[in-house]
Amino acid sequence: MSIIAAIGLGLVMGIAFGFLLEKSRVFEPGVIVGQMQMRNFIMLRIFLAAVASGLVVLALGQLTGLIPKLDPKATLYGAQLLGGFLAGVGITLAGACPGTILAQVGVGYRDAIVTLVGGLFGALTFAYFEPTLRPILLTGSPGKLTLHGLLGLPFWPLALGFAAVLVGTLYAMERWRPWRMELGENADGVLPPTKRAERKAEAAAAPARG
Amino acid sequence: MFGFKEKAWSPYLAGALIGLLQVPAFIFLGTALGASSSYVTVSASLAELVDPGIRALSYAGKYLDGAKNWWQVALVAGIAIGAFLSATVSGTRRSAPSPVWARALGTRNTVARFALAFLGGFILLFGARLADGCTSGHGISGIAQLAVSGFIAVAAMFAGGIATAMLLKPVR
Repeated sequence: MSIIAAIGLGLVMGIAFGFLLEKSRVFEPGVIVGQMQMRNFIMLRIFLAAVASGLVVLALGQLTGLIPKLDPKATLYGAQLLGGFLAGVGITLAGACPGTILAQVGVGYRDAIVTLVGGLFGALTFAYFEPTLRPILLTGSPGKLTLHGLLGLPFWPLALGFAAVLVGTLYAMERWRPWRMELGENADGVLPPTKRAERKAEAAAAPARG
Repeated sequence: MFGFKEKAWSPYLAGALIGLLQVPAFIFLGTALGASSSYVTVSASLAELVDPGIRALSYAGKYLDGAKNWWQVALVAGIAIGAFLSATVSGTRRSAPSPVWARALGTRNTVARFALAFLGGFILLFGARLADGCTSGHGISGIAQLAVSGFIAVAAMFAGGIATAMLLKPVR
């Protein structure tokens, strides 16, 4: 595919992606920080739904031959544990993931531009440090390990089974707490204080008793 | 119910539609959705203006050219456009930092928020590049391919995210 065609396709897919990220509210810092404090589960709902539909379309793609080959990333235990942990620290402090930073920029959050610049510096710093880090963290990969590969099974039955488990999980989550309860008045995932937090605030405001 | 003017769509529907974007990614480019490597493509391309030697680095060099790399740059640029369009039709454009920060940080000081945004963005992309992927590449794409790397990275991301969030003030 030519670069121009790839850029055109990327733009069209990105506009759809950004539209859906905005409509789903998962780009909101209130949703992301709320998820990491286990006080708002909108992020997990979207994440699991996206994984479930991805599993189904990739399984169908393999079965029909439309998607003959998957593209899993190589396993690197140290890099993925440490890098993943650092990325998680960054997700909370930024209130964003690499993709949702751009959605925040698009809707106009002023701090998101700063996050974006920080992200570019972070990526560039890694690029310069990569030769140093490579012998420590980025070698000795056991390969592109997958669950179906380890179990010696074809991809599609495992993928469809896992997707079914995820759909069941989402159904249970919706029964436990409907998603609209986590939206917040301004659709930003910022929710009124819990009863417990209110009681705590009242206790702190009350004069101390001897 | 799921009109363009709605402020929020069901997270299940929106999430499932995001997952469908894997189809054009695999059919046209043979790869899955991702976002974080575009930061290397853009920052290394800018750095090349002042440091032509960056092309010689094997890691940075492989992100500078090619359809796949610039496809992903266009994808993340498109995210900003799509989010802008959606927020414009539903009246959810933003300006000041989210009110969640006043709660989580215990201050409305925007300088404090901007400093943390820079630091957060820096650690986020440094970590994501070290892990070779982010919430998109390892998360929605890696797990959808049953990749062991995806399960490890996502578990580590939630561990880091939750540990950090516990150090902030409760948001509700």
